[in-house]
Amino acid sequence: MAVASSNLRAWLVRLAVLVAGLLVLAGASVLHALGKLPTAPTIAAQYFGVVGVVWGLNGFIFRNLPLSGWFSLPVFSAAVFGALFLVGYFFQSVAGPFLIDSAGRFIGLVRLVDLIFYAFAVMTIGGAAGCAFSRNIIYSAWSLLFAFMGVAGLYVFLGADFPAVAQVLIYVGGILVLILFAIMLTKQIGEDPKLTNAHLALPVGAALAAVTVGTLAYMAVMAPWKLTPEPSYQPMSAALGVAFLTDFLLPFEVASVVLLAALVGAVIIARKEIKETSDTILQ
Amino acid sequence: MSQSSIGLPHFLIVGAALFALGMVTVVTRRNAVGILMGVELILNAANVNFVAFNHFVEGPGKLTGQVFSIFVIVLAAAEAAIGLAIVLAIYQTFRTIDVQETDLLRQ
Repeated sequence: MAVASSNLRAWLVRLAVLVAGLLVLAGASVLHALGKLPTAPTIAAQYFGVVGVVWGLNGFIFRNLPLSGWFSLPVFSAAVFGALFLVGYFFQSVAGPFLIDSAGRFIGLVRLVDLIFYAFAVMTIGGAAGCAFSRNIIYSAWSLLFAFMGVAGLYVFLGADFPAVAQVLIYVGGILVLILFAIMLTKQIGEDPKLTNAHLALPVGAALAAVTVGTLAYMAVMAPWKLTPEPSYQPMSAALGVAFLTDFLLPFEVASVVLLAALVGAVIIARKEIKETSDTILQ
Repeated sequence: MSQSSIGLPHFLIVGAALFALGMVTVVTRRNAVGILMGVELILNAANVNFVAFNHFVEGPGKLTGQVFSIFVIVLAAAEAAIGLAIVLAIYQTFRTIDVQETDLLRQ
């Protein structure tokens, strides 16, 4: 008990010295920046702050270093102070102006619209990659959510309002929930996730993906597409409804029949076990 | 309207990446539900291409690409319902949905 309390007291002392050193460091820097403190006292105060921080940290992360003596602690602190001074000088005089300058040029070049597009593209591809490479099937399903939402955002970018809403409603609200139900009903979550979502020959698959992306991207960039001169952004839902009931009436009706057949077929296929058990009960 | 620097190739590259990742999912997964997820990714990639071509190539006022994308979404919904029902039936028969072990036509 006594050992524990003395350990606790030493720990608290270390913590207090650490905080005091940080305060001295920050206070000296701020006073120097405001012009209240000359350079030499600033450096001295910062050095003592670093000594305090190093001695405080010796109780936590530098625990392996023998910094107890009156010689090793100042020398090690001087080394840390020199390294910090070099890093600070580098950031203040070299990297800082360069970063601010390049950021100013970058903001001048890039428009907000482009940034939003890249955000949606990264969301889509990141979600798809998570779906492809995740170990756990539940994580795959949740990454699929990001991929679907990103694709909906890309539809908005392309002026396709109705497909964007349909994407959110049908994919996110319907198909993803269906997939999650199938995962839960097949009871493969609680077991070993590596088994439930095992990969076959992932390096071969990654090579296949790289080749496919390379080929398709080369084609997308190099092909002479006949672009329309002025892409438009108009509300298209009304025109889409008219098109479904005039030009595309036969595919529309066929699609409704297909949906009905899929509904009935899914119910019949998935009801198999209930029918068998009821048969066995009847027998 | 200010012309954005985002053009047709950007969307086609996103579609290509989606397609490739979906194909990897279909090829490497052993879980049948995972394979269905890969199929959904591939259908989404095709949809992105349809809508992008509708916007950049077909021109204002035309919407054949959007109509196609709606049909693809409808068929994807039907495919998901049927496919997941088949997965459930397989699970009820074999007690697993590992596609390497479900190799019997009848039991």
